[in-house]
Amino acid sequence: MKIESLSIKSSTIAIFSMIGITAIVLSLFAGTYFKQAALDAQMTSLSRVIEVASQEMLKKVRNRTFDLGMKLSHSRELISAVNSFKGTNNTGDKEQLVKLLDDPFVNGFVGVYEIDLNKIRVYNMDMELVAQSSAGRKNLEDKLAGYISTVVSNRKAPDRLKAIDALWMSAQGPLFSTLVPLGGLRPVGYLEIVVNPVFNLPDIGKITKTPVHFYSMSGKQLDSNDQEVTSGYLPVAFTLLASDGEPAFKIIGYENISELSSEMDQTQTVTITGFLLLSLSTLLFALWLFNRFLFTPVSRMIGDMERITRGKLELTVNNKGLREFHIFADAFNSMTEQVRMRTNDLQRLLDLDDSALMCFDHDNEAVYFNEGATSLFGYSSDEIIDLDIADLFTDDISSLLSGADSDEMPRGSLHTVLNCKHKDGHVFQSNASINTVDVMGQSGFAIALTIKTNDEDVPSSQNDQRLNAVEQTLSSLLTFAQENPGVIPGLGNLGLADIGDSETVSQKSLLREHVVKVMNLALACWEHELGKTKLELAEESNIWPVYMDKSTPTTRTLDKYLNIDICPKNPRSQRAVDTAEFVLRNASNSKKVKCKELQEALDAFRQLLSGIKSLSS
Amino acid sequence: MFSFLFSQHHQRIIIASISLLFSSVLCADQKPYAPENIQDVTIVSAEEVIDMILANPDLIVVDSRKKTEYQKGHIEGAINILNTRLTSEDLGRISPDKSKAILFYCNGTRCLRSSDSIKKAKKWGYQNLIWFRGGWKEWTEKRLPAVTE
Repeated sequence: MKIESLSIKSSTIAIFSMIGITAIVLSLFAGTYFKQAALDAQMTSLSRVIEVASQEMLKKVRNRTFDLGMKLSHSRELISAVNSFKGTNNTGDKEQLVKLLDDPFVNGFVGVYEIDLNKIRVYNMDMELVAQSSAGRKNLEDKLAGYISTVVSNRKAPDRLKAIDALWMSAQGPLFSTLVPLGGLRPVGYLEIVVNPVFNLPDIGKITKTPVHFYSMSGKQLDSNDQEVTSGYLPVAFTLLASDGEPAFKIIGYENISELSSEMDQTQTVTITGFLLLSLSTLLFALWLFNRFLFTPVSRMIGDMERITRGKLELTVNNKGLREFHIFADAFNSMTEQVRMRTNDLQRLLDLDDSALMCFDHDNEAVYFNEGATSLFGYSSDEIIDLDIADLFTDDISSLLSGADSDEMPRGSLHTVLNCKHKDGHVFQSNASINTVDVMGQSGFAIALTIKTNDEDVPSSQNDQRLNAVEQTLSSLLTFAQENPGVIPGLGNLGLADIGDSETVSQKSLLREHVVKVMNLALACWEHELGKTKLELAEESNIWPVYMDKSTPTTRTLDKYLNIDICPKNPRSQRAVDTAEFVLRNASNSKKVKCKELQEALDAFRQLLSGIKSLSS
Repeated sequence: MFSFLFSQHHQRIIIASISLLFSSVLCADQKPYAPENIQDVTIVSAEEVIDMILANPDLIVVDSRKKTEYQKGHIEGAINILNTRLTSEDLGRISPDKSKAILFYCNGTRCLRSSDSIKKAKKWGYQNLIWFRGGWKEWTEKRLPAVTE
């Protein structure tokens, strides 16, 4: 793809579209990551909730075991029984002691339904097991849990009265123990209350208010809080550690994320929609700004420039716009002004001469004439350009040139007297210097005329110099006119001059046919619809000149455009278009066949003209 | 209508009750702290209390809380006398010797009962006063032996 085929507008829209698409993709990615982050946060949050709930559950167990321990530790019977095992004279009644320890299992205690009491054991001050209840869990090791034993041995004197709690791993699974001094502030030993924490695990679910399943570390399900787990739940695992850091329970809580997902989806939809709307409105606003300050000024400048290059040098490019466009427009306007000045200078140079200077192309049609020529023949500038050589001279100049020998053209110029036809019809004689010139690569000729008088003759050398000047000046003007068609009003239609010969001939022929057709249809429509004459068309439209031929008004130029045989070889197509538009405008309400045909012919003619223009450019 | 239903005396009681209720609600979150210290009174921690009890079996420990609170749990050997009911005669019966050490405690740093009792005892001429400012809250938090009834 060539860069020239891309406009600023399409490039800008493409860039904005890319930015918009990128923004959409990024927002979708961000939404997905945001959702995942929210789920992660939810999982972390539930994990912490389970942790707190676990600690609350253990606190409740601890309080119950402490209460029971305190109750028993102040039992005088128990203190007395343990005291009897003190010292070397071991006179204690173990059976009685065991019976006392079995009492809570048999008779119950405050909070019996809140913990699962597994064992009550008594130790001496050296932490040696004295006795344990026969009721409760069997096959427990006959020693204190390792963690509690370590803590006790490391404690200082005042701290030995403080109770110790521990979740510890027995051979039969996790157990919870509370060790309290037996005998109050003056202990005789220690009392260990052992409970099964599995009994209290469902309390975690009561706190979290979510379905919770409890597993041993071997993976066996221990319990659950009987809440139903459906597909909208997200499992969150938490490991409850024993006091020594060893994993004790695996707790899986289930978070209901259906509501969260639905809210997230809603939030995502709202956010993305809002983002897209915002992006779109921003893009549209940016495009509006671009259109207002870039596209429209550029388009207006291009239009102005095209009109100027088509010949309307009096126009200027609108310089209202951004700084760069302002500078650019000013530069173009300055350049146009220079072109206009130079063109005027060239024309003024030729117009300053008193002689009539004119130039004809190989079709014998006038391509240039100065003011002297228009005043000599009595025509206006607009009228004279429609004339050909036969309208201005009675002599056949082509024959004169071809018949002249080299002696008669000493410096390439033929000096003779020509019979000229004035606009009003009278014929007069004039001294002429005729020179062949190159008109856009084809043979034309230039004529310099001076009025033939009896007392004064213009030297032929002077006419030759003029003709040479005319030739050079014309060459410049024609070159400029070829590059800038329509710039110089005094120059005829040269638009098809540089196209290939055969193509030029066929297009000229087609153009003439269309011109004649449009003009005939316009005249027919004018006459039938408005009931007016051809003369009235010329007069009212101000498009066609009206000549006075022996006191009779004639439309000589218009007549030529109505007949294919006498139609100029380079007809002024804009005149035909203007005439058709004038007629249609005046017969605007008519739906007659002729007018419809005229409209169709005009449309076809415009298409043809646009095709020729694009071919020329 | 209000004056028809209640006598003037009853009206005063009702208004006073309502005022008390509102002030209680308003002050619930602004319960004052016990003073940081009381002049000429020794402040001790839970561990120091144990040391003192073990070292001096005759140490008088006064629990200045309500009876219900005392029954739920108290320090071994403590005597329950609510601060508002503490009289010079009661204290004199417990400790005729005003130079003997007496330890006071209540619910903790936000309880003003023990400090009130100490101020009274100080006013009555008791010289060796000990204040367990952390009170029952500190005792239970340290999971020290408690006696329940």
